[in-house]
Amino acid sequence: MTDAADLLPGTLELLVLKALSLEPMHGWGIGQRIDQLSGDVFKVQQGSLYPALQRMLRKGSIRAEWRTTEHSRHARYYMLTAKGERQLEAETANWQRTAAAVNGILRVRMAER
Amino acid sequence: MIADVLERLRALLFRRRWNRDLDDEVQFHLEQDVAARIRAGADPATARREARLAFGGVDHYKEATRDANGVRALEDTLADTRFALRALRRNPAFAATAVGVLALAIGAAAAVFTVIHAVLIAQLPYPHADQLVRVYQYFGTPFLGTISVVDHEAIRDQQKTMDAFGTARWGVATLTGSGQPEAIPVVRVTSGVFQALGTTPAAGRLIEPGDDPVSAPPVVVVSDAFAMKYLGGKATAVGRSVTLDGKSHTVIGVLPPGVVEIAGMRSVAWPVLQMATPTRRGPFGYRGIGRLKEGVTLDAAVRDLAGISERIYPLWESGFRDKNARLRPYPLRESIVGRSTGQLSLFAGAVVLVLLVAIANVATLVLVRAAARQHELSVRATLGASRPRLARLVVAESLVLTVAAGVVGFVVAALGLKLVGVIAPELPRAREIALNGGTALVAAALAIISGLLVSISPVAAVLGGTILTDSPTDTRRSGGGRRTGLVRGLLVASEFALAVPLLLAAALLANSFLRLQRVPLGYDAESSFEVRLGLPSQRYPDGPAVPAFWRRAIQAALETPGVEAAGLSTAAPPDNQGDVNNFNLVAHPVPPGGNEHVSPWAPATPGYFTALGIPLLDGRMFNAGDTVGDSLTGPPPVALVSRSWAARYFPGEQAIGQQMIEGGCYECPRTIIIGIVGDVKYQGLDGGGDGVYVPLEQANPREATLFVRTRGAPAGFVQPVLQALRRLDPDLPLTGVPLRDQVKNALADPGRWTAVLTAFAAVALALSALGIFGLMSYVVRRQRREIGVRMALGAEPRQVTGMIVARGMRFVLTGTVVGLGLAMLEGRWLSALLYDVTPRDPFTTAAVAVLLLVSALVACLLPGIRAARIRPMEAIVAE
Repeated sequence: MTDAADLLPGTLELLVLKALSLEPMHGWGIGQRIDQLSGDVFKVQQGSLYPALQRMLRKGSIRAEWRTTEHSRHARYYMLTAKGERQLEAETANWQRTAAAVNGILRVRMAER
Repeated sequence: MIADVLERLRALLFRRRWNRDLDDEVQFHLEQDVAARIRAGADPATARREARLAFGGVDHYKEATRDANGVRALEDTLADTRFALRALRRNPAFAATAVGVLALAIGAAAAVFTVIHAVLIAQLPYPHADQLVRVYQYFGTPFLGTISVVDHEAIRDQQKTMDAFGTARWGVATLTGSGQPEAIPVVRVTSGVFQALGTTPAAGRLIEPGDDPVSAPPVVVVSDAFAMKYLGGKATAVGRSVTLDGKSHTVIGVLPPGVVEIAGMRSVAWPVLQMATPTRRGPFGYRGIGRLKEGVTLDAAVRDLAGISERIYPLWESGFRDKNARLRPYPLRESIVGRSTGQLSLFAGAVVLVLLVAIANVATLVLVRAAARQHELSVRATLGASRPRLARLVVAESLVLTVAAGVVGFVVAALGLKLVGVIAPELPRAREIALNGGTALVAAALAIISGLLVSISPVAAVLGGTILTDSPTDTRRSGGGRRTGLVRGLLVASEFALAVPLLLAAALLANSFLRLQRVPLGYDAESSFEVRLGLPSQRYPDGPAVPAFWRRAIQAALETPGVEAAGLSTAAPPDNQGDVNNFNLVAHPVPPGGNEHVSPWAPATPGYFTALGIPLLDGRMFNAGDTVGDSLTGPPPVALVSRSWAARYFPGEQAIGQQMIEGGCYECPRTIIIGIVGDVKYQGLDGGGDGVYVPLEQANPREATLFVRTRGAPAGFVQPVLQALRRLDPDLPLTGVPLRDQVKNALADPGRWTAVLTAFAAVALALSALGIFGLMSYVVRRQRREIGVRMALGAEPRQVTGMIVARGMRFVLTGTVVGLGLAMLEGRWLSALLYDVTPRDPFTTAAVAVLLLVSALVACLLPGIRAARIRPMEAIVAE
């Protein structure tokens, strides 16, 4: 199991944003969704979600709401704000640019070898 | 941004709810995970274990989430504060002492700085006040004089550096027409004064250029209070008329409420100053007030006015021979507050010293307490509190103390500011002094600064480990570490070092004050009283009417039963020199280009000298023959001089018979000195005894003071004399003031300054003594066992006492020596405020040192004696 610290800095927030872009979810759901979407490549330690969510709440990229689940259990749901959506777009683009650049460098290395 | 604030507020204000929510959320997460795992086929026990594993440390992440809420530091601070408050509540005596001591010091400091800001720093209450100047006649440092009508007209017509220029004359006018005639303070002004200051009226208009010529009808601007009192309020005041000095003035405007001081002169009415075309350079007595043009420097104005002085000098040379005199502008603020700067900075210095002593005192208290709580702190450290955490706790405790002191201190400052009027009634700009945000800011800043200063030593002790090195069980034996012991000693020593300059300053002022009280006045103040008289020119035109009234007034006083002597003079001791005049000596003329001599110059009748008991030492008194006929046909003018005057200008020579050129008039007949009289203090009690007297009729003044000597105390004779005078003229405002009261008034100001500074010094002394007492008591308590052992080994009680006293006095002596060094620095500051004492007066210095050492000795002896009473067996067994 990989610790959250093994993710690139800021990556966890990006993953949370992506997960929430589909629908509002509670903390456990977000964790499940990240596992599922990443094909279990990133196994986030579930607890580390909560400090990250707290930080994002303060940034205003998500907001929270207590709702009742289908099993009539009280749970805290998180959802993207408009700011969060913009942030997701910007960070996705940023990530892709970075990833492309890193990939490029890695390819050059291989060619030189 | 908004989300951030809201989220933080939520975490802060609904902290319990916030924590419960977090617990719920984590609980829900785990439940979901367990349920999912069971659905996937795990048995419940395994599912629970795996869920916890997948989550990670529950408490760790909860804590991390709390850290992420952004109010963690604040919450911790609140917790520390609550803890500090609890700790202080357990020790109320300590808390009350520390808060009380600091609150007084902070309050005094905040009050003094509010006063200093209002008086010395704040802009004058006029628009663009930094462009305002007061114009003086400058005779070479340090002599500044007033200007004359000639100067006024020349500046008004020729100056190029000012937007507006006007002239004011401060005086007293008789208000008649509303019951008893009343003497009221007035400032007569030309239109330029209000224009320069930028004053706006609350009703009506101000004096305008059209009002300035002698031919214009007389007008007056009055204060709001005056309008209220005499004219039925400002709405009805404008257009009515008031009679000032027998002349009807139309009220044209009312100033806004509270404005009672214009350009530093207090007044209730501002009549127009109309000046007739002058025939000579004098008389002086006018104050020039101007506003510099935008962008014009003071230097440019100095050059501008100097040029005017040079141009007008030849025109009036026959009557004004001081070729080097220059009209010269000074910033108006400087001219208003100048005198009080010295006194206020003395105050500020004193208050800073008291504050530092108080901080050192509280720091000692806190340090002693921290050492006494070593056990508790050690336990906390053992239980895992980090040193920074403990240090923060110590700082929080100090800050709780000093912030409380700051709050109380603000209240103290508010009360203190109410006392300013009592302590310093003569302070300029007193009306502008008020409690304000600055006061609160100073109190808050001082509270926080002193909190940090107070924390330095205990924090250093905690961080440096001196407090925590001992194991929790063995605290009683140690002295709390050598270093903290030294720090405490140094703190106490610094209290003494700071107290010395304060005590010395107070002692010097007190010494000076005592000498001032014993100053020979040169006259008998016990059985005389004075009545100020002013004859309005309306009813007493120039000519025989004025001297005739003076003769009848003296006669009326002498005819009153119980009156032994009566006489008139324009001077009124101890601080009214009447007139001053310049003169030259025929026998010793001043070199060409030099300034002529200046001296107090009082027209007086012979009765003045008998009424005041001023002795005639040599020569003869004025007689009737001195003033018969006019200056061409009569005998030459005569003068009496004081002994100091004679000694100054004719040292070792016979002054009687010498000739003077009076007032720069070289064409006039020479004045002959006919006698020498005793010295009288006219320029304040700390001034010199110079004086020249000429027969009253020679000067023919319109204002003079009647002095009446009575058989015994004057109180019972005042009314009969005033009634006799009223029969001569019912329209004159009359008050009789015993001369004793005048002397008392002259002493009141230095007396108050001395009292306040002495109070400060007493507080510093008490705090220092308390500091050394507390420290040595603590040392004795801590070293009970060691002392017990010494005594068991044969030490005499006296030796034990001696040991404790010696240890304490070492710090005291160090502090006192350093303090004496510091005190040497204050001399320059003080000397201007001292009379007949030098700042390094050896007797005063020695007395202060002895006082300090004796108090310290007593403060050390008490714990020393207690130490000697320790029973060795009990002390050793008590462990």
